[in-house]
Order: sequence, then C-alpha cells, then structure tokens
Amino acid sequence: MEYILKNGIVYDPQNEINGETMDIFIKDDQIAESVSDDAKVIDVSNKIVMPAGVDVHAHVAGPKLVLGRLYRPEDSRMGVSQKTKIERAEAGFSIPCCPTTGYRYSRMGYGTVCEAAMPPLEAKHTHEEIATIPNIDINPVTLFGNNWFCMEYAREGRIEEMAAYIAAMLRVSKGYGVKIVNPCGSEAWGWGQNVHGYDDKAPYFDVTSRQLVVALAKANEMLGLPHSIHIHPNDLGHPGNYPTTVETLKSIKEIKKSTKKAAKIRDQTVHNTHLQFHAYDGTSWKDASSGADKVADFINHNDYVTGDVGQVTFDETTTMTADAPMEYDLFQISGLKWANKDIECETAAGIIPCIYSPKTPVGTLQWAIGLELFLLVDNPWQICMSTDHPNAGPFIRYPRIISWLMSAPRRMEMIENGEVHKWSHKRTGLAGLDREYDFYEIATITRAAPAKIHGFPDRGALTPGYKADIAVYDVNPNDFDPSRNPEMVERIFTSAAYTIKDGQILVKDGDLVATKPSHVIWTDVKGWEREEAQVLNEMMPFFTQYYSVKWENYQVHDHFLSNPIKVEVPAK
Amino acid sequence: MKTITFNQIKTSSIALEFDEVIPDNIYTWDNSDFDAYQVPIGNSRFPITDFFDIVIEGEAESPAEVKMVLNGDYGRVKYIGCKMSAGEIIVNGNADLHAGAEMSGGKVTVHGNVEAHAGREMSGGKLEIMGNTKEFCGASYIGEWRGMTGGEIIVHGNAGKQCGECLTGGSIHVLGDCDILAGIHMTKGVIEIDGNVNRWPGGQMKNGNIIIHGKVGRLLEGFVEQGIVTDPEVQGKVYPGKYIEYKGDIALNGKGALYIDAEKNRDRLSTWIEEDDEYNAIRVYREQ
Ligand SMILES: [Zn+2]
Repeated sequence: MEYILKNGIVYDPQNEINGETMDIFIKDDQIAESVSDDAKVIDVSNKIVMPAGVDVHAHVAGPKLVLGRLYRPEDSRMGVSQKTKIERAEAGFSIPCCPTTGYRYSRMGYGTVCEAAMPPLEAKHTHEEIATIPNIDINPVTLFGNNWFCMEYAREGRIEEMAAYIAAMLRVSKGYGVKIVNPCGSEAWGWGQNVHGYDDKAPYFDVTSRQLVVALAKANEMLGLPHSIHIHPNDLGHPGNYPTTVETLKSIKEIKKSTKKAAKIRDQTVHNTHLQFHAYDGTSWKDASSGADKVADFINHNDYVTGDVGQVTFDETTTMTADAPMEYDLFQISGLKWANKDIECETAAGIIPCIYSPKTPVGTLQWAIGLELFLLVDNPWQICMSTDHPNAGPFIRYPRIISWLMSAPRRMEMIENGEVHKWSHKRTGLAGLDREYDFYEIATITRAAPAKIHGFPDRGALTPGYKADIAVYDVNPNDFDPSRNPEMVERIFTSAAYTIKDGQILVKDGDLVATKPSHVIWTDVKGWEREEAQVLNEMMPFFTQYYSVKWENYQVHDHFLSNPIKVEVPAK
Repeated sequence: MKTITFNQIKTSSIALEFDEVIPDNIYTWDNSDFDAYQVPIGNSRFPITDFFDIVIEGEAESPAEVKMVLNGDYGRVKYIGCKMSAGEIIVNGNADLHAGAEMSGGKVTVHGNVEAHAGREMSGGKLEIMGNTKEFCGASYIGEWRGMTGGEIIVHGNAGKQCGECLTGGSIHVLGDCDILAGIHMTKGVIEIDGNVNRWPGGQMKNGNIIIHGKVGRLLEGFVEQGIVTDPEVQGKVYPGKYIEYKGDIALNGKGALYIDAEKNRDRLSTWIEEDDEYNAIRVYREQ
C-alpha cells in the first residue's frame, strides 16, 4: 500500500524540519523517497505531521501490572467501555488492561513504548502481556540493579564477566537494555533495610550502589548496546535526595561511550528516569523544597546525561516500582493498601494506590518540580516526556502536560487562582519561569529524543527507510496560539487526526479504525558466546540450587515473542 | 406523583440489569419509551416489555415524584435502584445483587430477601430490606477502601459476611443476626446489630461505632476492654442498657468503639477463654 500525506506542516527534529509544509511518502511499512502514481493521497493540509510518539519510560507489561490489577479492581472499573467491531472492551484508568493500553497510546499518536522494568524471572510473563497489547511496539529493559550475580561481579571488579552475563541475560529475557532501580536498595529490602545514599552497601554483598552502577555502565559500553544504562537512582522520593542523583550521574562522567555501531545513535552514557522524584532539597517533608535547579544545572553542563521527568498529573493513580523499600515508606505515609512482590535473587517490587492532589503541599511540590525540570533543562534532547506511567500519573495525561509546557499563562493561572497549593511557588521557582515549548520542542521530547536515547535506528523520525510510524494532529500551528489555548492543545494531542503504524492507518479523527499486533524489540549481542558460556557455567550451580525454576524454563524462547524485532549488536 | 408498576410476565435465568431503570432516568417516560427500551441481560439487550407489563399512572416533574412498584420475583434482576438520587422503589419480592448500590437519595424497600452487595457505596437515601441479605451489605466496591459514606440501611432479617465493610459514614441497622467481620476496615459511621454475631466484629476498624445487642461469639485480639458503660450515646443517639465497651482494632492503631450487650456477654468480662469453644478445642488437642 502506498500513501502520500499531502501538504502537512511537518515537525521532524531528527531531520531538523521545523514546521515546513511538505509531503510524506509511505510505501508499505516504510517512509519512502517517492511513491508511484497509484498512491492514495491523504490531504493533511493545515495539520501537524510528526513521527509517531515514542515513550521513553512507562510500565505497561509485566508482573507488577498484573499484581496492580489484581490488587486494584476499583481501578479497573474506571474507563470501562463496551467492545466494538474493532476494539475489545476497555477497562482501567491508571492500570488499564493490555488491549486498552495499546488503544489509548494509539489514539494519542504513539507508536513505541519502552517497558521500563522487566525482571528476568518474570520475563516470560512480560512477553505474554506485550503480545496482548496491540498497536505499539515495546522494548522491555531488563532489571540488573539488584541482581545477585551483578552485585558479586561489581564487588570483584569483573567487568568483562558482567558484560557477558548481561549479554546472556538479554538473550534469556529477550530484553532491550540495562535497567537499574534503587541499586542495592531493593536487595537490602530483603533484609528489611534500604540503602541511603550512593555509597551505602547492600547487606551481605558488601558492595556499594556506586560500585554496582559504575560497573554496569562500563559493561554496557563494553558491549556497545543501543541504549545506555537506564537508572532510577537511590533515595527516590526522599527530601534532600538531589545530591544522591547528582553524585550518581557524576560517577558516570569518566566512562567512555562505546564506539560500536549500535551505540552510535545515542549521545548519552546514562539515562536518569523520572528525575522529578530525584530532585528534592530539604531534610524532611516539613522543609522540603525543589532541587530541580541543581539537577537541571548539572544536566545543562553534562551532555552525557539524559533524563525523563515523571511528571505528576494530579490523579488518583497506582505507584508500582522495583523500589520495594520506597513503596513501604509511601505506605507508612499514606496508610493505603500495600502489596510487595519479591523476585528472588533479582529484585523486589511494591505497589500502593496514590492520590496526587493539587490541594496537598507534597503533591503540588512534586508537580511543580517536574515542570521546573522541563523548563530548566535547556536542551530538549536531554529531557523527555514521561509520567513514569502509572507512578506519577497515567500516560493519557501527556497531552495535558504538553498544554502546561506550551502555556506559561496557564501555569501562572493555576498558581495564582489557588488551583494548586501554595508550595508550588513558595518552595519552587516555577512562578519565575516563563519559558514555553513550541511544537518543534514538543516533537523533540515526545518522539525524536526518546528514539535517539533508546538508540532506535528505525523510528522517531520521518527519514526515508524508517518505519512509517506517523502522527497527524488537527491544528494549524501558523494561526494558533498554544499559549492562549491550553485546553485546545490538550484536545488535539489526546486524539490524533491520524495515527499510522508500520504504514497502516490505525486511528482516524481520534477513533480507532484498525488494530495490529505489536512488535517486541530486543537486543542480541553477538561475539560474546564463549564468555557467556563461561559465566553461565559458573553461575549454574548457584542457579540450580537457589532459583525456584529450572534453567530450561527460565529462558524466554523465540516462540514466546510477538513479532520480534531483533537488534543485533555485532562482536567487539 | 407518578406511579410506574412493573408486573412480571416472565423471568430470566441470566440476570436483568436495572441500573438504567431508575427514577432519575424514567420520570418522563411514557408507554412508548418503555416499548422502545431494551434492558441489558448478560452481554445483550432485550425489550423490557418482554419481561414486564408496565402500567403508568400520573405525571412527574422530577425523579422525586416517581414511585416504582416492582411486582414479581426479582431474584434475577440486578442493580435495582443503583445510582438513584430521588424517588421511591418498592420491590414486592426478592432482589438480586447490588440493590440500592451507589444510591445518593430516595428510598428503596424490598419486601423479600436481597442478594449480596445491597447498598454498596451508598452516599444517601434509605434502603430497607424486610428479609435477609447476604455478604457485603453497605460495603465498598471490591478493592476500594472508601465504602458507604452516607444514608441508612435497615435489614429486618439477617445480614451476611462483612456487613458495612470499609464503612466511611452513614448507618446500618441489622435487626437479625450478623455474620463474621461486620464493620471490617470501617473508619466512620454506625453499625447496630440486634441479634447475635458469630465472630470478629470490627476487624481492622480504624474508627466508627458498632453496637451489638446480642451475643458475640469470638472477638478479635485487637479489641481492648474499656469497662462497662450504661446508656452510651453514639453520634447523638442514646442506646439504653449496659454494654461492655471495647476499643480497637489496636492492630491498626484503631480508635473505633465496640459496644456489646453486657448481660448477654457477661462471660466475656473475666474468663472468656474458658468459654470459647474453639480455643478450648485447640487446648484440648494440644494437651493430648
Ligand atoms: Zn518507572
């Protein structure tokens, strides 16, 4: 099938196209230089055309989601709609069921989502869920930050073995990259403890968070993976945690980025996720204030760092993270129901419902810090859109966040008319920021930058040969002032005029017109087979004795994958 | 005043759902509207007139002026009066799940037995059940920690397990017996039980009040005896008589009050362990 998207106003930051009127050609599942005369013409004049959205970090599939849905049936009854000829029934708000997740991303013009925390032991299940999410491609990143083997390699400084182990585990779990969550902290939770600060040690393993993170970053670059380490540092959500964040990022400074081809697309050697939760000043919630300026300042001076925000959206949502001790702390504060999930020798997760209210000081402070980060980080290629779905809010709120970013008057209105608690301006610098994003910058933080950060060679831009993943939004930026029309901004980004995935029209005028199976993207490291065999050999007695599954059942075999896209990382 | 009478023609083994057939929606309806209306049954809809002969008398300007009279067996009709805010519904027979659930005003009276989840998440109005009801009467939606917040439920018969679970306001009065865990997780409101309670009233309650006039089988360990009180006043109402007052559930730092009739539960005051069948059974077993 061939299409011409005619006369759209194109924002394609990777190709530095900023609002030019031009045609986009689609041949089958790719963007093309040209098409034949048989191509179907779709008139998109006076409409915005962007590459389909890429979500840098969200939790959409895996054991935490299942536990969350089991644990919060009251969430599932929100957002219920009946099945149609095209869609299955929808259900859920903060933890929608799998098909609903795909539909809702599609309606917003998204095409790819990173599932941000896959424990190897639960990888099979994660892939089963990915297979039932339609319309979006998903690259799950595998958790390594509390893995017993990794902690031992880090303590002993065996970086090559760690690299081989990562290569093997990416294949075993069919994962895309290296995710680190509260390094050493979730293991400490197994002993009823946490680590405090970057130089605290996990009990028994006698290794600090710093040693572990630096080792993982080195191994990541030794392998030359398409994505850098993707870290959720220690002390999440604790007042006064910003020095831990800065320390963590600083420690990666000297590590050279790999020169291998797969690693060429990205610029960063560390991606710090949901920075908002890691940018607090003060000593307790009594005197907590924003540390966003310090974190942003560090990012502005260090181009090896990227991040996403984890913007609070003022919703009743569900927090779920492989940072189990933090979830327990949250439970102590809120008293709402709490669930814990231990993943044996790999990690631990916790879940509790969370109500972010604009009337409360803490929720508002978090909201304001998130916006400060968006506005204080100068280079939009270093900061991405995220709500750490569903932790700070559900992903369906991205359009609302865009409206806040594009409209300083709207932000001031919320502060001045008391829509949000006074901590928004008393404890942060938000009221002094009048920067407004334009459509080009929005396109950067929602598609171009996330794709580049993940090292995708085939999406996030409208380059011929790339996947025909395209979003069209029904607004003419040349006679529209987003600053004065925040509600309209939210509306247009909520329902795309067209969402095209792999050359297929899935959404038209905000409604789903078709569904398609998703692809799962994983990284296959080549040339480490001998080293991999060695480390597996070495770990096998331990594995056999202590894991609750057999090695044969631990591995995610090829037939488990839904339409895999294998990213090959060639030998040394 | 408008009276809408539903005379049952036939029943369905798959439940009908009546949450759309409430005074708020139908106060303007005439016969032609009912002729056109299809009622949800399972995953389909069928004409409501297949199941009921519907007689309309009078006129209504608002939902408050509507009285619905349901004649027949409504044991397979769910959501009667669900989400209603005004008007009256009288069921001359049994009712299925979720009767009066989420109602915010008006009155529902059932002259029969009612299935589980009666009055779930009520915020106002009155639900009166002349027969028995099953589990989760006046409770929350499953998983939800914010339950019934207002209104009144009166059960003339017995109530099932977890009556008033997560109660956050309003009052429940059970004239018969009540099964286990009445008022579990409650934070506010009043539950009054005239009959006996087999076990564990108020489990994990944080606040609120439970008054039991009958005999209580087993209490949870998280309830601490405060002594005997006479004619206690609870939320503006005096409950005559002598009661043993407990505070709990201390497992959750709860500050709830549990009053149980002192006369019928006098054994509890000093040596309840000896009286407790289950405890004795375990002790005897261990001694063997
Ligand atoms: Zn996350």
